[in-house]
Amino acid sequence: MRRLWAWGALFLGLLYFVLPLIGMTEFSLKMRRGEYSFDAYAKVLGDPRFQETFSYSVAMALFTIAFGVLLVVPTAYWVRLKVPRARPWIEFVTLLPLVIPAIVIVFGYIRLYNTSSWLPLTGTATGTNVLLMFGYATLALPYMYRAVDTGLRTIDVATLTEAAQSLGAGWGTILARIILPNVLVAVLSGAFLTFAIVIGEFTMAALLNRPAFGPYMQLLGANRAYEPAALAVISFSITWLCMGLIQIVSRLAPKPPSQPN
Amino acid sequence: MASETIRTAPAASLRSRLPVNWLGLLPFAAFALLFLILPTMKIVIGAFQTPDGSFTFANVANLNTPSIRAAYWISIRISVASALLGCAIGFAMSAAVVLGGLPRVIRGPLLTFSGVASNFAGVPLAFAFLATLGPVGLVTVFLRTQLGIDLRLLGFNLLSFWGLTITYLFFQIPLMILIITPALDGLKREWREAAEVLGATGVQYWRMVALPILFPSLLGTFALLFANAFGAVATAIALTGSSLSIAPILLFAQIRGDVLGDPHLGYALAFGMIVITGIANGIYIWLRARSERWLK
Amino acid sequence: MSESFLSIRSVRKSFGATTVVQDFNLEVAPGEFVSFLGPSGCGKTTVLRMVAGFETPTSGAIVVAGKDVTRLRPNQRNIGMVFQAYALFPNLTVAQNVGFGLKVAGMGRADIDARVKEMLALIKLPEFGDRYPYQLSGGQQQRVALARALAPKPKLLLLDEPLSALDAKVRVSLRDEIRLIQKNLGITTIFVTHDQEEALSISDRIVVMYGGKAEQVGAPFEIYNRPQSKFVANFVGTLNVLEGTVSDAAAGKVALASGEIALPGHLGGARNGDAVSLALRPEAIALGQRAGADTRLAGKIADVHFLGSVIRVKVAVGESIVSLDTFNSPSAPPPEIGQPTQISFSASDLLVLS
Repeated sequence: MRRLWAWGALFLGLLYFVLPLIGMTEFSLKMRRGEYSFDAYAKVLGDPRFQETFSYSVAMALFTIAFGVLLVVPTAYWVRLKVPRARPWIEFVTLLPLVIPAIVIVFGYIRLYNTSSWLPLTGTATGTNVLLMFGYATLALPYMYRAVDTGLRTIDVATLTEAAQSLGAGWGTILARIILPNVLVAVLSGAFLTFAIVIGEFTMAALLNRPAFGPYMQLLGANRAYEPAALAVISFSITWLCMGLIQIVSRLAPKPPSQPN
Repeated sequence: MASETIRTAPAASLRSRLPVNWLGLLPFAAFALLFLILPTMKIVIGAFQTPDGSFTFANVANLNTPSIRAAYWISIRISVASALLGCAIGFAMSAAVVLGGLPRVIRGPLLTFSGVASNFAGVPLAFAFLATLGPVGLVTVFLRTQLGIDLRLLGFNLLSFWGLTITYLFFQIPLMILIITPALDGLKREWREAAEVLGATGVQYWRMVALPILFPSLLGTFALLFANAFGAVATAIALTGSSLSIAPILLFAQIRGDVLGDPHLGYALAFGMIVITGIANGIYIWLRARSERWLK
Repeated sequence: MSESFLSIRSVRKSFGATTVVQDFNLEVAPGEFVSFLGPSGCGKTTVLRMVAGFETPTSGAIVVAGKDVTRLRPNQRNIGMVFQAYALFPNLTVAQNVGFGLKVAGMGRADIDARVKEMLALIKLPEFGDRYPYQLSGGQQQRVALARALAPKPKLLLLDEPLSALDAKVRVSLRDEIRLIQKNLGITTIFVTHDQEEALSISDRIVVMYGGKAEQVGAPFEIYNRPQSKFVANFVGTLNVLEGTVSDAAAGKVALASGEIALPGHLGGARNGDAVSLALRPEAIALGQRAGADTRLAGKIADVHFLGSVIRVKVAVGESIVSLDTFNSPSAPPPEIGQPTQISFSASDLLVLS
């Protein structure tokens, strides 16, 4: 009885999730009249604008990941090791991007860093790119911080640090050679998630006028019929790939050493 | 380091060492301040300033027009509806897997899929739903040609309250599943058994024990889903262009400069959004404090 | 038979291909306190869970007060149960926890309050009604769990290792308290434990379980002093085992490495040359010659453990090491290791293990 109800709930739920996926896939194949074809994909992949915007977004994602790791790993480590009292505050700040809409944050950027401000980041293309990267890092902060902090929880940070110090390692060595490898799985999980977020992000890129993949998709959607469905399939595959990679790295990872207590 | 410790008195070294430790947080603090706190503050302050910088309530008062009120109202309704439905359906699916006696093999794929779907938002999600429930979408066409049901005649339109709500559910439900599954795992089997052996029915157990225990998590997820839907811009724009006037689309147009008018109205619009998600989270924190007296 | 309150009849439970309980029979008299004792995985908890209704027997029947409850749901059985991990509802106060069973039964508020007050007095926590479980110690939580189980006046009380999560001192005091309350209320009780000392001290009868079967059922005195199998003898208490060979079956003589002993009438149908295991509790053996002991063996002190009021001495007798207990005496120093000595006991205290 209970099991029947459970299967029913699961089935209805899955139907809701599977139908749009089937819908977009089917639609993306219908460009040629009367038969299924990959024409829409060929069109999209052959479009130079697709190639430009996609590589731009990939580059932005990689920069965001690099910056996020450099910012989050030392901070999370330092909080665990030296200032545990700051934890609630840091956690609160890292959760803020989930509460404050991205559109509000980017609006603040535009007003705060415009050409007539003290830090005119939006004045140049490079400056705007940097600003966009910081924006992406903000959006990814909740996920990156949580992933790394969870990773740090499974290792004994204090003991590892003391052991490394007693062998003469400095802070840089400790972070790069001891802490980072130990939380690599967590960092990679955060990185793939960041990638999935950045690659299709629309609001910030559109409002900062950068040639990113998100605004390109929107533009195509407003003007074409079948190509958007092909783009949706491509995006979904990228998201799926990112999540799959998270699963794979966390499964392949050596088990962290068990902690005393 | 060691020689310094010897020279300074222990009390002094403790005092001087504390700020040094806090200095380690400086990069993070600078980042958060410059790219999260200050931009938000700028909006909040700007909402109460005239173009020449003096204090005013006029911007906020200017929000009180029928079109802006309507935009906020439909945004709130969509956010509440998609958060409520997302919570309810996500909860049911998670409960079906965790407690409903379904085989445990389902669990891993369900959580992975939830991870994917909760991140499959924005522009492509809108495309997927257009291809499914749009005028020539898979389901629309199937219903019309095979079953003779015309969604359009029934009043369904993807570019509407229900259309957006159904679309938003695609990321709301998985997010709920991701958050609530660990909470459901935390329900101990003994609680259920203790309630049963004391004579409680399944309904009584849920009403008196399980739901109150889950309440803080449910509430927190609801607040998160609300903010998630309320701030969603990309899906709405890709789905509706700007034909459906919801608060974030209005703000988007304002920033883009598509709408002529008072530039400080933009501040007020954004401030309104902060206030609403802020209130949602304030209610959450308040209710949580009330409902969690039994936690340390 | 007719006066038994709980009867478990030929109960069998299998999960897939593995049988965890087989052919289990037990009659429990009204007001009796019965312990299920055994190592983990012996099936004791499964039997308890079948009585509670969380598991359904693959075959057999469970009858409570003349009524077959085998297929009833747990909430229709009117049974009280205390769990190992307390299982108090964390969102409810102590008073609400205790009153839970009354509330779901639809009892009025005033009646619930009165009954809760009564129960809190019974467990000696009258001032704790408004606290939450996390504010209580483990022992206090388990007492509240007991009060919660007893509040709806159940017909039967089931205790599933209720003491094993507690520390040693609390364990002993709560054990005595449970027994006292049980006696006062006269409630029929089943207590599951893996701790033999607990079972011996608290029970009217003990069911020693092993491999899904009842190895022996009997009063604590009987279980301890007359174990019917090697498993029971070894699991309950400490035992010295002397291996020997029957040298003269008719006279009941057994040859050990360290000498020959006579135990007429104990050997049953054994024949000359049969190997036998003879077992002795440490407290049945005396160091030196005890008055009334009819058997003596020579040995050497191998080890001495000073335990406070008792000194446990290990004596090497031939190939075997024999443990025995002597009381501490402030005026006499404990024996020295290596010293030759003699042990004595009554042959009638020897257990012949099959």
